Amino acid sequence: MAIQVDEAAPVVPAVRRKRRGQLGLAGGIAIVGAAIAALYLVMAPLLALLATAFRGPSDLLPFEPGAHWTFDNVVDVYLHTPLLSTVLPNTAIFVLGSVVVTFFTAFTLAWLIERTDLPWRTTIFTAILFPLLVPGVVMAFAWTLLFAPNAGWVNVALRSVLGLDSPGPINIFSMGGLILCQGAASVPFVFLLLGAAMRTMNPALEEASSASGAKPLTTFLRVTLPVLRPGVLAPLILATLVALEQFEMPLIIGFPARINVFSTRLYFDLNPEDELPAYGKAAAVALLFLAAAVVLLIVYNHLIRRAERFVTVTGKGYRPTRYALGRWRAPALAFVGLYLAAGAILPTIVLVWTSFSGGSSDGMSFDAYRMLLADRRFWPAVANTFAVAGLSAGIITLVGALLAWQILRLRFPGRRLLDVVSFMSIGIPAVITGFAVMVLHLTLPIGLYGTIWILVLAYSYRLAVSTRLSRASLIQIHPELEEASFASGGRWLDTVGRVVLPLLGPSLLASFLLLFIVGFREFTIPMILQSEDNWVLSVIMWKLQADRQTAQAAAVGTLILVFVTPVIFVLRRYLLSRQGET
Amino acid sequence: MLTVRGLTKTYATADGSFQALKGIDFEIPQGGFYTLLGESGCGKSTTLRCVAGLEEPDGGSISIGGHVVADAERGAQVPAFERDIGLVFQSYAIWPHMDVFANVAYPLRVQRPRVAAVEIKARVMDALRLVGMGDFANRQATKLSGGQQQRVAFARALVRRPKLLLLDEPLSNLDAKLREQMRFELQELISRTRVTTLYVTHDQSEALAMSDTVAVMASGRIVQSGSPREVYGRPANRTVASFLGSANFIRGKVIETRDGLAAVALDGGASTIHIPSRATFSQGAPVDVIFRPEDATTRLDPVDGTIECIVDRVVFQGGMSECQLRLGSTPLRTVVHPSVGAQPGDRAWITIQAERCLLFAAN
Repeated sequence: MAIQVDEAAPVVPAVRRKRRGQLGLAGGIAIVGAAIAALYLVMAPLLALLATAFRGPSDLLPFEPGAHWTFDNVVDVYLHTPLLSTVLPNTAIFVLGSVVVTFFTAFTLAWLIERTDLPWRTTIFTAILFPLLVPGVVMAFAWTLLFAPNAGWVNVALRSVLGLDSPGPINIFSMGGLILCQGAASVPFVFLLLGAAMRTMNPALEEASSASGAKPLTTFLRVTLPVLRPGVLAPLILATLVALEQFEMPLIIGFPARINVFSTRLYFDLNPEDELPAYGKAAAVALLFLAAAVVLLIVYNHLIRRAERFVTVTGKGYRPTRYALGRWRAPALAFVGLYLAAGAILPTIVLVWTSFSGGSSDGMSFDAYRMLLADRRFWPAVANTFAVAGLSAGIITLVGALLAWQILRLRFPGRRLLDVVSFMSIGIPAVITGFAVMVLHLTLPIGLYGTIWILVLAYSYRLAVSTRLSRASLIQIHPELEEASFASGGRWLDTVGRVVLPLLGPSLLASFLLLFIVGFREFTIPMILQSEDNWVLSVIMWKLQADRQTAQAAAVGTLILVFVTPVIFVLRRYLLSRQGET
Repeated sequence: MLTVRGLTKTYATADGSFQALKGIDFEIPQGGFYTLLGESGCGKSTTLRCVAGLEEPDGGSISIGGHVVADAERGAQVPAFERDIGLVFQSYAIWPHMDVFANVAYPLRVQRPRVAAVEIKARVMDALRLVGMGDFANRQATKLSGGQQQRVAFARALVRRPKLLLLDEPLSNLDAKLREQMRFELQELISRTRVTTLYVTHDQSEALAMSDTVAVMASGRIVQSGSPREVYGRPANRTVASFLGSANFIRGKVIETRDGLAAVALDGGASTIHIPSRATFSQGAPVDVIFRPEDATTRLDPVDGTIECIVDRVVFQGGMSECQLRLGSTPLRTVVHPSVGAQPGDRAWITIQAERCLLFAAN
């Protein structure tokens, strides 16, 4: 999942750049270290991937003895496989379809919550965050329990109400099902971004329209939408990137329906049933989608720059007027209710119920939990999940903050490159990162492959989250606050330790929390890099589910929910305090 | 105390480069108050930042108290934190995450070898009392008014008793009344601590009121320096004259120069004026006659030897009124008593104190 940060930066004085003279040895080491780390975490895997695509034969690692430069992989993949005829159209339909679903739902929800007098807004806001925190693989599993054509709860219920025969009437294992599930899963973060854009819009723009005699609908169409356009298009692109990298839903919902999209295709190239992994072919497939992601990124970058110029942010203390829903109140609530039922309430109930009942009607028991706790894989997976999420969040936060500081405050050749590298990480599909890190570390003579450390490294490529957040708050820290420290006799470490870090504190904490959640949810990377020693909870759940240990899989899902629920409230407090609502 | 020699600084910009400093030379004696005055972009702040060590000059040298702190030729640059300075920023740069005491204590806390906590406490409280903020030590920095932040910034700059105090437009963020009050407090504070001060401002009244020496800067150079009276009374050229206070310019022609007096026929009227001039002008040379509004008297009735003008507007400003006039097409400003009730279009007659006029060759 890609996370992005509200880009609207306040108007600030021109930032003065300083020479390196102030840094001293400790500062120099920290700065250079961060730059090298950024290149190693983001660039090195991609270069390894590029090399792999043009080294053959395909089942060899790029620099194994016997490998040589070749175009065979590219020719093979693009001319002799169903990549262009099947995988590409499937991916396109999946991505576009789910983005449409996401966008329609998220825009409606954001508008209802930010701009209308919908009741219970805070509660609804909280509930919408639910799928943001629950790992996608858990959501996918819960939805199969609900909508599977034979035993899915909703289907059983519908059949008994409507008097139909098995199976059906809903078949989740179809392109439509896949699109709806993915669309629903992406709603929360697009909702957050759109909500932010709507919140920062200057209400005077709309008031001016009303004062000019325009009816509410006219104002909405002729003022609200055009003003919001850049702030709306940027999340749209981001949602496309997220859909492109999705792996959980295509694996759990798409695979049984024989729908192959790019991410699953890459995964099966690397984990074939009875052949050797085809590294070269997988890399050739990855290149196409990496290129697509880069194009989207360029568009996205262009849009957020425009959005910064476009959307007018006024100071604090204003409250946009809310539209009165009137007789639309009931349909609006029904829409919200439908989304929450499918996205939060029913998945929770079905997971908890299944974990206790084993999916049968033999009565309730703790059997699934007992078996789970006795499973020797369980506790290491719990430890791995928290360790990898925590360590990678820490690394990214630290490296990202140092990168942001040097990009903003120092002048040196290559600054632009670092900026691009850290920004790029928003758009690189996780499945490509996992694969690239795998190739790199199978090639490098460092014994990290198969340990949790390779997961820590691979997770840590998401530098953009931290650099963006740190940059946004660094921009608000007037450079004179740092210069005052130098002029008071403070060295670089004094300045960073006593002035910069304390001022950055809240955004560093936000960055850490956000990345911890991302790491906790991560499924794609640990799937690709999995070994017996580095299983995490999401992978364990998938394995149990694939082995038809449904009750135990549901038990893992329930435990994940138990952990995630308090985080939702922490996150809600943070988000709501930022938007200044009570 | 502070010696600056041949300072140059060039910035790379999107379209080439911009030479911010084109060779700055000046000296401040021990205990002196030296002001760099100029419009924004003239290089005054860049000069101060070079002295502070926040910018590295491309050429020239700087020494503070006999120690060379920057010498571009030898590639020497002492970082800011090793220079013995106190610096007050335009934005004050009070750290919002610390209280008043912690802000002021910072320079002592980062000092090596360490300063004992007891001594820090004593010196911080001294500094806070010096600026009249003794009761605010535990106040959060974010809960201070502009004037209070200003005082805390001074206390922080003075707490380690620096050799040199650098002030970068410290009053420009205050409202008019507070600015005046702080100006007096600041003057008083500096004369009490006898610290050598380099002051940067674009406000001429601050510069004239506070400094021992004023240096007027324009596009990267010091155009003129001297005591405030000298610079105001004898500006070296039109730029200085028009920047320091308001000035009237009347184009004219020299009729003759004799006995140190130049007879000038003013354009747009039939008047001739005799102005003291050390320079000799050839007959018929075009010149600019420059005088300040307060150096002319304005009447509404004709008297011999006065110059006839047309009133454009009288702007009431409280204690006095500004009279905007036209001599031919040349706009002029004079000062009149607020009781003078001239109407636009009225005729008015002005007398210029010739001995206070300046004469420059017109370009």
